[in-house]
Formats: sequence, structure tokens, C-alpha cells
Amino acid sequence: MPLLRRLTSLLGPSQAARELQWIKKHALQARLSVEDLVDRRMRDEPLQYILGTQPFGPLDIRVRAPVLIPRPETEHWTIKLSEAVSPTPAKPFRLLDIGTGTGCIPLLLCHLWPKGSVSACGVDVSDDALTLSRENAKAHGFERGPVDLELRNTFQAVRANILDPAFTTSVDPPYDVVTSNPPYIPFHEYLDLPRSVSRFEDPKALFGGPMDGLDFYPAIVKVLTQDGFMNRNGIVALEIGHQQGEDVHKILKQTGKFKEISIWNDPWGKQRTVFAKM
Amino acid sequence: MSTPEDIASLRILKETEPLREAWERYTKCNETLDDTRALLDDPDETMRSMASEEYNSVQEEVEELVTDTLPALLIPPSPTGNLGALIELKAGVGGAESCLFVVDLLRMYQRFLENSDYKYTMVSTNEIEQGGIRDALMEVSAPGAYDLLRWESGVHRVQRVPHTEASGRVHTSTVAVIVLPLVTEQEAQSQQLYRMEDVRIEVMRARGAGGQHVNKTESAVRLTHVPSGITVSMQDERSQHQNRRRAFQVLQARLMDQKVVRDMADKRAAKNNLVSGVDRSDKIRTYNYAQERVTDHRIGLSLMNLSSVLEGDGLGNFLTALQKNYRESLMEQMLQGN
Repeated sequence: MPLLRRLTSLLGPSQAARELQWIKKHALQARLSVEDLVDRRMRDEPLQYILGTQPFGPLDIRVRAPVLIPRPETEHWTIKLSEAVSPTPAKPFRLLDIGTGTGCIPLLLCHLWPKGSVSACGVDVSDDALTLSRENAKAHGFERGPVDLELRNTFQAVRANILDPAFTTSVDPPYDVVTSNPPYIPFHEYLDLPRSVSRFEDPKALFGGPMDGLDFYPAIVKVLTQDGFMNRNGIVALEIGHQQGEDVHKILKQTGKFKEISIWNDPWGKQRTVFAKM
Repeated sequence: MSTPEDIASLRILKETEPLREAWERYTKCNETLDDTRALLDDPDETMRSMASEEYNSVQEEVEELVTDTLPALLIPPSPTGNLGALIELKAGVGGAESCLFVVDLLRMYQRFLENSDYKYTMVSTNEIEQGGIRDALMEVSAPGAYDLLRWESGVHRVQRVPHTEASGRVHTSTVAVIVLPLVTEQEAQSQQLYRMEDVRIEVMRARGAGGQHVNKTESAVRLTHVPSGITVSMQDERSQHQNRRRAFQVLQARLMDQKVVRDMADKRAAKNNLVSGVDRSDKIRTYNYAQERVTDHRIGLSLMNLSSVLEGDGLGNFLTALQKNYRESLMEQMLQGN
């Protein structure tokens, strides 16, 4: 069967035509067989893993199974965050990204904010994610050097688990901004995930807990409301699942430590990000 | 210290320098002609022939100055002279054959641009299953590309026996070409082409729960500029962000195009101008395969070497002729006091 027709049976005509174009282009550059790549796609492998990259803002982020593929919703709020607050080289930010995966969030912020205005730390529990985020930082020139003389933004990856009581000591606070796209899919929705997600992407990056998928938010909030963890006027941006806005809003509000809490919608009209100022 | 007025006058001085040089050369030539004229009747034969030789060559120079150099310098610099171009090709009448001709025209422009050292990027191509392209968009960002290619806008007609035609019958099909002025974001803002609040941004299709639940690429974006009703859809790039950027680029180019057309109408530039008077829906050029002929209907120019046009070199002849035609019509307008 012709390649386009095979892909059409999986994706519909217009998506199939576009994906085939991207696959062909990649096959040509990487000297791979188009047929092999289409075979992989037909077995539900995400296009992004097949192509090895996903554009995220103006950056091309390397992706590799099983590290979570950057989503357009995340791209959207990260760009919005970069406009909502703006550090300067005179008043630089320290940024912590919890569950950094490919490193896409802090790396895009490193790219969008002025040179020398941010030093970012991405933490993850997965070795695959730590390796990949370091590769991405290097590819975009944000890896931390032994001595940085010129004005630049930097990223470093650190192994740490937000659920571990020793988390705080391993990340060297204080921070000005904390971002996170923690796992938030509840169990009953996990069972209905498309196979390209559930079979290829790391469950540790997706599964948010057996009940409501909200296990990680109280843990994150508990850490960052500790005395001395955040600098004055600290900023928090947390991605949430499509029905978790109210719950996560409440988790932050209960602490009494936030001056302002708002919920941002994604481009598809779903509540997607809880943004808060301390 | 130089005042803003000084700077303005200096700029005028600088801009008119080529004109001054040409005028000085013209006066000098005339002096030489006067001096040599006396020697044309010199009793010495050698002197006479030297004088006549010089006289003729100087006279040629004067002619060139009067017919080409000076008029060209009198035309004000093009307001779109620094802009790049977006070239849109769309299959028209003729179904699949028209889509095949889009491929040929696309290659014609690509070859021409490669030969003239212009870089281009394919922004999008919409291929059809039988082979052929329904529509394509290419970007030529180099300054000057718009002025070079703008007269390609219009309907291009092909007359040939399609590959798909078994009976050998000649078909007539058309492809619409639209060349738009490419403006940068900053230029668009400074020209006040649109206000952000007038642009509606829509993302195509629902993503269900979205976020971590879905890893399918859903990157299509549609912009609507409400006051003008212009809509732009973009889906060839792999991310929202890229499609959005591309869509804004096209929207800005469309709005700039409207502005250029409006400005021309305001200046009544269309009045005696064959080229700009042509409507976008008029056929501007015919490619006749049987006769190996390409005819531009606006200037009545035919080239009897179709393959050279389609392979890219011949197109330059049309572009030069159209450019010349445009300059002449601008000159005429100036003479008529417009």
C-alpha cells in the first residue's frame, strides 16, 4: 500500500500528508528509509520521537523516548510567562523547574529572557530526562561552564525528587521563579490515553496519582512555601490537567502565602496553568 | 552641531549626487561637442578624422545620457525597493493539469532565483495525490525581491497536451500567481498596518483533554483580520508558534499589498500604466507548448523559447522588459505633471 494511504488510515488525509512531508524531509537528512519511519508511525510511535525533535517556541528541542514530549499548551504558557515577568541582568532571576523532562520550559525562558538575566535549575527523577535536558542545554548554548565570564543564561540539571524530604537541600534555594509541568493524569483517565502516549511516554511523567491526579501539587506547594525557599515577590507557574483548575487554585490559596493567584487558559480554551505571585 | 534640517538637506544632497554627476557629464559632453565641431572642417585631414571620431563617440554618450541615464535618475526611489517577497501560486482552471503547471511554474521561479543568487524558502506546498501541487507559498526575503517579481502577479495560462491526456488534445489551464511585499514585524508596526486587537487568532480542531493527555501534533492556526476580512490559515509547520509566526507574516504581506495598491491608486499611478492597470484576475501571460512560445499580454512581448523561460534564464527577459515598461510609464506620468 502507498505510504500516504497507510498514514491516512491512521491520521486522516490532511494530517497524513503533512506528517509524510516531515517524515520524508527527516529521512533525507538523516539518511533513513521513509518506509521504516512510516512503519514506526503505523505502530503508534509519536511523530516527535521518530523525527527526534519538537519545535518549542523558536527552539528545536531534542526528544527521545520515554522523556515526555513538549506540548503546544506548555509552549503557549511558557511564552506567556516570559512576557508576564521580565528579569534583567541587573536583577537576575534564579529559576527552578520541577520535573524538567527535555528541559523545554527553562531552556525556552533562557532563550526569551535577556542575556545574563536567568540561571535555571531543572530537576528530575529520571536519568533519561537528566541526560536529555543536558544535551538540549548544550545544543542551545545554555550549559553552565566552569567559569562564566560573559553575560549569558545558564541551565543545569540536578537529580532530585519533590516527594523526598531531602529535596530542599539538593536544590540550593532561594528561587525567584518556580515552574513545573508535574504528572497530573488521574488513574481513570490514564486507562483511556491514546497508545502513542501510554506506550511510549514515561508513566512517571504522566500519572498524577490514583484518585484525582493531584498528588504532586501539595508536595510542590509545601516545598516552595517553606521559609527562605522563595525570594520576595516569588512567582509560581504550574501546568494543570483540564479539570484541575479549582483544586490547584485551592491548594495554593489555603497556604495564605500568595498575593495573587490566577488561572490561564490554553489556546483551546481549557484551564491549563495556575500562575501565582507571593 | 548639525540641525535636523541640515541632516535632511545633506540627505537630499547625497541622494541627488548621481543626478548631479550625470548632469555635469552632460554639460561637459556638450562643451566637447562645441569644441570639436570647429575642427570638423579643419584643413588637415588627420585632424579632421580625429575630430569626427571624437564627435561621434561623444554624441553617442549624450544620447545615452538623455534617453536612459537622466530619465532613470528622475524617477523617485521605489517605496517598496527594500522589501522581500512572498510568492503564492494557486491552481486555477484545469484541475489536475493546472496542479501540474503549478509544479512547472514553481520550478521556473526556483531556477531563476537560484541563477540570480536569491535565497528562497518554501513556506508551504499542498500536494495532491495524483502528483502536482494545488497551492504553494515561497519566501524570498532578500531586499528588492518584491520590486523584481511584483509584475508576476496575475493569471498565467498554459496551452499544451497534458501528460494525462491520451487523445492528444490541447488543454488550456491557468495558475494564479500573487506576489506580496514581505514586511518585517517592526515595519508592519511602524506602518500601522493593523492593530493587534483587530486580529482574531484561532487554533484549529479540538484537542480533547489536551496537555499531557495528547501528543498528536495539532499546530494549525488561523488568523482573521476583522476590518479587512482577510483570513490566513497556516499548518505546514510543526508547532503552533511557527505556524502563528508564518500566518502573521502572510497577513502582514497581504495588508502591505493592499496598502501598496491603495497608494498607487491614490497617486493615480494606474492611469497610464499598462502593468499596474491589470487586474489580478486578468491573464497576463500565455505558455504555449506546441509553438514553444511565451507571450506577455501586457507588453505584447513574445519569446519563442519556452524551455528557456521555464528553465529560468528566459524569465529574466520578461522581468527586465516589464521593469522598463513600468519606469517608462512612471516617466510619462511625471511629464504629464501627475
